[in-house]
Amino acid sequence: MALFELTNIDKAVKNGNREEKILNDVDLTLNEGELTALTGPSGSGKSTLLTIAACLQNKTNGSISFKGKKISEKNDGSIRKLRAEKFGFVFQHAHLVPFLTVGEQLALMLDTANVKLSKEDKNNKINKILQAVDMYKHKNSYPENLSGGERQRAAIARAIIHDPELLFADEPTASIDSKRSEEVMALIKRLSQDLGITVLMVTHDMDMLEYADRRIEMKDGQITKG
Amino acid sequence: MKMAWKEMKKFKLRYLILGFIVFLISILTMSISGLANGLSDDNASLIKHMPDGTFYMSEDAEDNYSFSAIENEQEEALAATDENYTLFSIQMGEINNADDKKFSTAFVTSDGGDYFPNVDDGEIILDRSLEDEGFSVGDKVTNGLIEDDLTISGFVDGQKFSHTEAGFINEADFQEMYRTDAFQVGFTEGEADVEGLTNYSNSDFLNTIPSYSAEQMSLNMIIVFLYVISALLFAIFFYMINVQKMSTFGILKAIGVKQSSLFVMMWAQMLFITVISLIPAIAISLIINAVAPEGMPFFLPTETIIFAVVAFIVIGFVGATISGLQIRKAEPLQAINQGGM
Repeated sequence: MALFELTNIDKAVKNGNREEKILNDVDLTLNEGELTALTGPSGSGKSTLLTIAACLQNKTNGSISFKGKKISEKNDGSIRKLRAEKFGFVFQHAHLVPFLTVGEQLALMLDTANVKLSKEDKNNKINKILQAVDMYKHKNSYPENLSGGERQRAAIARAIIHDPELLFADEPTASIDSKRSEEVMALIKRLSQDLGITVLMVTHDMDMLEYADRRIEMKDGQITKG
Repeated sequence: MKMAWKEMKKFKLRYLILGFIVFLISILTMSISGLANGLSDDNASLIKHMPDGTFYMSEDAEDNYSFSAIENEQEEALAATDENYTLFSIQMGEINNADDKKFSTAFVTSDGGDYFPNVDDGEIILDRSLEDEGFSVGDKVTNGLIEDDLTISGFVDGQKFSHTEAGFINEADFQEMYRTDAFQVGFTEGEADVEGLTNYSNSDFLNTIPSYSAEQMSLNMIIVFLYVISALLFAIFFYMINVQKMSTFGILKAIGVKQSSLFVMMWAQMLFITVISLIPAIAISLIINAVAPEGMPFFLPTETIIFAVVAFIVIGFVGATISGLQIRKAEPLQAINQGGM
C-alpha cells in the first residue's frame, strides 16, 4: 500500500542567468514498511529528491502526498509538525546536539514529536531504543566522547524514538568505515522490519543495496530504473 | 528551558565569561548611579526633599533664583490659588564658630509654611553634618552681615544646597543680612498661572541650580553609555554564540523543533545570566552604600536598583533578540550539508 507519493516533481535552480534543472518530472511511490534505496552517480539528484520528499527544501513543481493527503500545500507550521511527529531523519553525519547526552537527545526528540508519555515511560522507551541500537551504555555520554559509528547509531535511535512512519536516510553510512556501515545498515533494516517503518535511503555504496527491498536508480535528475 | 540550562552546563566557561562581564558592568553602573544620586542629594537635598509641585520665579530672573523677587500682588495671586503656598529665599554665605573659623552655609528663610523649619528671631537651625564639625545646640555663630549672634536651636537631616549645608534663619534676620524684603521663590503643590512668574517643575527647578545639571548630565551620560555597552555586549556575545550554533539550530529545525523554542532557549540563558550576575553586583553596591565614607556622597535607593535590574533585563532581551534573528536564517538543508558531530 502506498504511504508516500511524489508526483511530477521538478526542481530548478538559477545558475547565473540560466536555469538548471536538477529534477525533471520525477514520480516516486513509497510502500508501507519497505526499505527503498535511491542510487545513482553524484549529481543525479538523489539527495535533492530525498530532501524535497522530507520537506527540507521546496520543489519547483509537482505534488507530495502522505497517506493520501497532499502535504505540499501545507503551511510551514504544519510541515514542521509533520516532520517532528511522522518523519525521522538520519544524515550522512550524525548531527547530534553537542550539549546533550545521548539520552537527552532522545528525550528532546520525544518532546519535539509531542509524544505524551509519563516521565517513567519516556525513560523506559529511551532505554529500550538504546538497547536496540546497542548504545545503552552510552546513554549519559556526550557526542564528543563517541566514535563515528556510535554517533550514527545514536542518530538512528533519535530518528526512530518517536515511532515515525517514514525514515529518511541520506547516505547514512558515508562517514563511517565499512564494518560500521554493515552494522548500521543491518540496524536500519532490522528496525524497519520490527517497527514497520518505511525507509527512503540515498546511498552510493553498492554493498548497502543488499539491505534494500527496492532499488531505484537516478541519472540526470530522472528515475531511470526501479 | 531544559536545553538552555543543559547548554550552559556543558559550556560553562563561555557563559561564565559573559556573566562576569555583565557583573562588572552592572556593578560599575550601580556604583556610578549611587554616586550620581549621592552628588544630587549633596547638591540639592533641600529641594529634592520637597513634595512634587510647582516652583515660581520672576520672569525677568532668567532661571536664576538669586535674581528673582516675588512681588506682593504675585504672592496674593499664589495665595488665591493655593492657601498652602510657601515663599522662600536662599543666599550663599558663611557662619563663623567661636574660634572664628568660617563654614560655608546656604542661608534659607521661608514665610512659615510647612516645608521648611520655622525659626525664631536670633536663632539658626543647621544641617546635621555641621554637628560633626563641632557645632552643638546652644552654640552661637556669627556672620558679618548681621549685628547679633545667631544661636543654634537645632539640626535637621539632609538639607543641603549647592553642596553647602543649609542654615535656616528667621525672615527678619534674612532681611537684615541681605537687605531685601522680597522672597525669591514660591512653591505650591498644585500649579497656578501668575502673571510675571515662570513655573518650574521640581526637576526643572533643580536644573536651575548652578552646577546641578552639568554634574548630573555628565554622570547620567556615563550611565547611559554603560547601558549601551551592556546592550552591545549581549548582542555581540549572543551573535558569536549563535554563529557557532547555526548548524545545531539547522538540525534542530530539521527534526521539527519550533523556532520559537530556540528563541525561548536563548532568552532563558540571557535572563539566567543577567539575574545571576546582578545578585552579587547589587550586594556589593549595597555594601558600598553602607560603608561609603562621610566625604563620599553615595546613595543607592531601592528605586535605582530596581531600575537598573529592569534596564539590564530589557537591554539583555533586546541585545539577545537582535543577534538571535540569525536563528531565523538557520537553514536545515545548509546544516545537513555542512557536516558535523
